[in-house]
Amino acid sequence: MPPTAPALSSDGLSKHFGPVHALQDLSLRIEQGEVFGFLGPNGAGKTTTIRLLLGLLAPTSGTATVLGETVALGRARWRTDVGYLPGEVAFWPGLSGRQTLNFLARLARRPPVDRPALLERMGLDAATLSRHVHTYSDGMKQKLGLVQALQCRPRLALLDEPTKGLDPLVQQAFYELVGDARRQGMTLLISSHVLTEVERLCDRVAMLRLGKLVFAGDVEEIRRVQRRRVVATFGGDVDHQALAHFGVVIDATPQRVELLVAQQELPALVARLGMLPLADLVVEPPSLEEAFLERYR
Amino acid sequence: MSAAMLLRHLWRRHGAALLLLAAGAAFFQWAITQVVPEASQTGFVRELFDMAPAPVRVLFGEELVANLSARGFLGFAYVHPFPLILLGIWAVRVATGALAGEIGRGTMDLIASRPVARAAQVAAAAVAVCAGLAVISAAAWGGTAVGLAQRPLEGVAAADLLPVAGMGLLLFTSAGAVALLISARSREGGPAVSWCAGLLATSYVLDYLARVWSVIAFLRPLSLFRYYEPQRILREGVAGADVAVLSAVGAAALALAFVSFDRRDL
Repeated sequence: MPPTAPALSSDGLSKHFGPVHALQDLSLRIEQGEVFGFLGPNGAGKTTTIRLLLGLLAPTSGTATVLGETVALGRARWRTDVGYLPGEVAFWPGLSGRQTLNFLARLARRPPVDRPALLERMGLDAATLSRHVHTYSDGMKQKLGLVQALQCRPRLALLDEPTKGLDPLVQQAFYELVGDARRQGMTLLISSHVLTEVERLCDRVAMLRLGKLVFAGDVEEIRRVQRRRVVATFGGDVDHQALAHFGVVIDATPQRVELLVAQQELPALVARLGMLPLADLVVEPPSLEEAFLERYR
Repeated sequence: MSAAMLLRHLWRRHGAALLLLAAGAAFFQWAITQVVPEASQTGFVRELFDMAPAPVRVLFGEELVANLSARGFLGFAYVHPFPLILLGIWAVRVATGALAGEIGRGTMDLIASRPVARAAQVAAAAVAVCAGLAVISAAAWGGTAVGLAQRPLEGVAAADLLPVAGMGLLLFTSAGAVALLISARSREGGPAVSWCAGLLATSYVLDYLARVWSVIAFLRPLSLFRYYEPQRILREGVAGADVAVLSAVGAAALALAFVSFDRRDL
């Protein structure tokens, strides 16, 4: 695959389940080595998209290309380079953790070069791996799921809700793990509805709603176009209507105004506030969460 | 290569069950050889059968009632519900567990997201079904052979039962292929098991009813069990037409299973 080719792309990808349009006309491009976030509430179409990209589902229309090969139900070879963590991870209850990892690594046809490091990061010791998976808690199954997805150092990893059920310490370990993967040049597609997580981990994000792409772009770009929350506190009474044309006033008292302001309006607003008896000024950086909520309202 | 790994995986999951089923089949056939009445004991039994209504005599088999020979008894043992259930359990358990069961459990995603062709999954399941049925059939015949070695019976040799065991294997291989087709088209293991078990039971009952009730006799060819008659095999040998029908049904169902699974959403 040429170094400039995308790791993953889709063109007009759609999937209908009878009358339900789970995904509509998704066109997306993810570059090699990119950490890409896939955002959306439950039922937005994130899992359907991932399953289409893996060839587990046949698209109703459109095409997808993964690692330079067109995705089709019957084709299997390209999956050698792909790691996958399902959103609802399930294992064979009668197999031990180690047997599970061995079996899945053999199927991947790549040596599990990163398994020891991943097990250490996830805190899965030899005794745990010797136990049958049916004795594992949900969190332990999720850890095992992450290890199986990444143990063979795939070029592309599709992780559907990777931190679900993980305690904060292990979540932190996962974030470090993503950092390692990024340094190795791995391409990651992370589906999540934990916005802070995506904001922290991803270079770019796509937002889905009811099967449609709402937005795709850089995390920084989203932040930039997102309106800032400005809270101005005054030493005396102020008519907040004098500030209303800078943005949207969301709360106001005679001595305090809270408003949402676009980035390009900030200098003019600050200049105007300087003419008022300003006691305190807070300009909050926009979070992905605000961007997300604004687009979903 | 993938199919071989999947086969090992299936063996790990079903190996213990296979050993139990094979042991059960072997013990049953051995036990039958130990209780078959000798020629001197059959007079009383013949009187009993003569008193029985026709449907009961049909159930036990024409050769058994007509001749009350050891061959008849041993033939009956190969069409007894117990060994048939053992073979049916294996065919349905493995066929439904390998495809629909994996999908329903959620583990299919882990397999199908790896470089494993869907055809390899169907092939592994098909080989596991056939191999397991062969083991159970061989164990059943082994039970007969050991039993006859311990207690020789007049007019019957263990080798006479080999074609019977072979046709039983073919019958359930064919049924296993149908189960595989149902599994390849299902989303859950439970409903697939229900469908397969229901079809097998219906096929068995249809064969029996069509034999005892002339009004529906024309439906008998629709049952797979129509093509497996141990006592007729012992008397006349294996009928080529029976082999052809069972083979054709099995091959067609298997081909459809490959096509269905290759084209479906997982």
